[in-house]
Amino acid sequence: MKEVVLWSPEEVTSWLTDSAVPEYCEPLKNFTGRDLINLTEEDFKKSPLSRVSSDSGQRLLNMIEGLKMAHHMEAHKNGHTNGHVRAGDAARQNGFGAALKLNGVPNGFKKEMIKIPMPEPERSQYPMEWGKTFLAFIYALFCFVFTTVTISVVHERVPPKEVQPPLPDAFFDRFDRVQWAFSICEINGMILVGLWFVQWLLLKYNFAHVYTRRGKKKVWNTVLQQSIISRRFFCIVGTLYLYRCITMYVTTLPVPGMHFKCSPKLFGDWESHLRRIMKLIAGGGLSITGSHNMCGDYLYSGHTVILTLTYLFIKEYSPRRLWWYHWLCWALSMVGMFCILLAHDHYTVDVVVAYYITTRLFWWYHTMANQQVLKEASQTNLLARVWWYKPFQYFEKNVQGIVPRSYHWPLRCPALARGRQVKYSRLVSDT
Amino acid sequence: MSTIETAKLEEHMEGQPNGTSNGYSRPTLSVSEENKNGASKPKGLSNGLRKTAKKYPDYIQIAMPAESRNKFPLEWWKTGIAFVYALFNLILTTVMITVVHERVPPKELSPPLPDKFFDYIDRVKWAFSVSEINGMILLGLWIFQWLFLRYKSIVGRRFFFIIGTLYLYRCVTMYVTTLPVPGMHFQCAPKLNGDSQAKVQRILRLISGGGLSITGSHILCGDFLFSGHTVVLTLVYLFIKEYSPRHFWWYHLICWLMSAAGIICILVAHEHYTVDVIIAYYITTRLFWWYHSMANEKTLKVSSQTNFLSRAWWYPIFYFFEKNVQGSVPCSFSWPISWPPSCFKSSCKKYSRVQKTGEDNEKST
Repeated sequence: MKEVVLWSPEEVTSWLTDSAVPEYCEPLKNFTGRDLINLTEEDFKKSPLSRVSSDSGQRLLNMIEGLKMAHHMEAHKNGHTNGHVRAGDAARQNGFGAALKLNGVPNGFKKEMIKIPMPEPERSQYPMEWGKTFLAFIYALFCFVFTTVTISVVHERVPPKEVQPPLPDAFFDRFDRVQWAFSICEINGMILVGLWFVQWLLLKYNFAHVYTRRGKKKVWNTVLQQSIISRRFFCIVGTLYLYRCITMYVTTLPVPGMHFKCSPKLFGDWESHLRRIMKLIAGGGLSITGSHNMCGDYLYSGHTVILTLTYLFIKEYSPRRLWWYHWLCWALSMVGMFCILLAHDHYTVDVVVAYYITTRLFWWYHTMANQQVLKEASQTNLLARVWWYKPFQYFEKNVQGIVPRSYHWPLRCPALARGRQVKYSRLVSDT
Repeated sequence: MSTIETAKLEEHMEGQPNGTSNGYSRPTLSVSEENKNGASKPKGLSNGLRKTAKKYPDYIQIAMPAESRNKFPLEWWKTGIAFVYALFNLILTTVMITVVHERVPPKELSPPLPDKFFDYIDRVKWAFSVSEINGMILLGLWIFQWLFLRYKSIVGRRFFFIIGTLYLYRCVTMYVTTLPVPGMHFQCAPKLNGDSQAKVQRILRLISGGGLSITGSHILCGDFLFSGHTVVLTLVYLFIKEYSPRHFWWYHLICWLMSAAGIICILVAHEHYTVDVIIAYYITTRLFWWYHSMANEKTLKVSSQTNFLSRAWWYPIFYFFEKNVQGSVPCSFSWPISWPPSCFKSSCKKYSRVQKTGEDNEKST
């Protein structure tokens, strides 16, 4: 269908007839498309239009608006650029050809910019949404604090090791305790967390441009990808610690070894409780910092959670070709878990259950996040039956597709790095 | 055109079994005969469509993979394999219980662990029987329902695989760390200390009694993490709900109540720690939903970079079982025993075009 500006009077008439307003055919019979668009309410106050119009032309004006929107016209803009506020007058006399001559440029060809609606023209594929990330961070923080409080509560109920000796464990039967092993585990954990943090800092958003309402806009490259990934990390680690609170609280396992030196019980002294909680949070829950001398938080192992989860995130959000890096992290993670058991600091079942829950939750979350079809609850989508599905939808609904993994050096090597990145942007996105 | 294509393909399939019914033993010949003769009385729907197809001699046959093959092949042999797998895991669990029993610390040395539920609710003696009776009723209902499913083999396969895997996990958690008995009321059988024959006898006794205390077969201790009773109660409820019509809400509600009551009664009877029940519930529901999501969604059946669900260790086995199942198994029922042919065949014939071809194949075999 031709654009409205290019309509001849015959086409205008036929449109008026088709739109069931034939009463306007007679007064507007010499109107071209251009004149039609430039009709205003004032025109309807004067004859001949005032005679035929019963509603001051409201209905017709609305229909013309609809036409304009359908043809992406901005009549007033054209009117101004062409130097005529009311191009209709001249056109009415001279017809379509005159309009062309007056402007010197055929309308709709060179000076006009036709906007093609893109599916998401104002938003990028990976919106920043720092608000959501902050919310996820608060959630994780809350779960951490809640875990600390639970440990403090559970500590009161741990039976003393004289009354309740350590439970029989298949690993402990075969391997004797090694004293320094737990420090290795914690050091490994700290290295992995550090590596993950550094990796997170180096993330780069693949597309350099983001389309907003005003056109293309360059956006801070680093922050978009970081926002989404850190949101996921906080959500998952928060949920894992929440689960941990539950399993720790409902049943209290005895200490896994006689070497444990548990702090004395407090029996309701709230101030000391609070101080202990603060100390535990400040030390990050690690024994190596001397903050963790409370007992009872065995099922399931928080150290295993961190070791496994950081490894999974490191592997997932780093380029595939860095296989040696993945192997290194895997080795750190495995050695860390083995050392937990070697130090007799957790039962084997704690580590096994922690590993299982962490991997399943990570894979479940990421599968749902990567497949658009799983983001809607349906009869065949049984993954949506988890209790955290609604929050998940809230966090991930605007993330379309897979977050690409690409990196850049934080320091600027202007010509070299930037140029190279732009060239391979299409290749890199596929890895 | 597409309807003609469908009809044409259906004719190809039904050509052989229904050859005699149309009065032509060689349906392909009949078409050429019709062409020669130019006119023939339309005998049934298929001939009429064939005639209309003649008007468009330049049609192109579009191969439709789903139509030419059954979307839900029965493959009973795979169900057999799944059954063997489940049986193996069940026996392994029984053996494991016997082994673990030897390592349970006596309740005098190792008193029951502190448990939040036990702190608030005292023990009720008959509650465990309630739990086991509920379990047996639910299992009975499920078997009854299963007999009426149209795609018994596929659903049975899934049930056996999931329950086998859950019991395998249970073996692992039971074995690695042995929890003490949850209550002083436990009467554990004496330890055998290496008497293998007596151990085998115990295993057989446990299997024959189905692992239930109510049959007197379960006198062994140590199988606490995680709770097998919870697994069965939860899993059977999930299967009942998944494979029954959606509008049977009263049926679902009853089963849910029985399942929930059974689980609570386990705790009320102080037969398992709370953490055993929670972990059992968690692992059962997650495995069930994971497996069924993969089975229902085509994109999740193939292993790819974005499909993390395929990273489970049992993915190859899953793929073996489910690769020929196209899409979500529809909830349809049929009589478990087929009536004599004359009762059903005539009434189904008229609707042969309305029903799916898969159903027709089943009915006629």
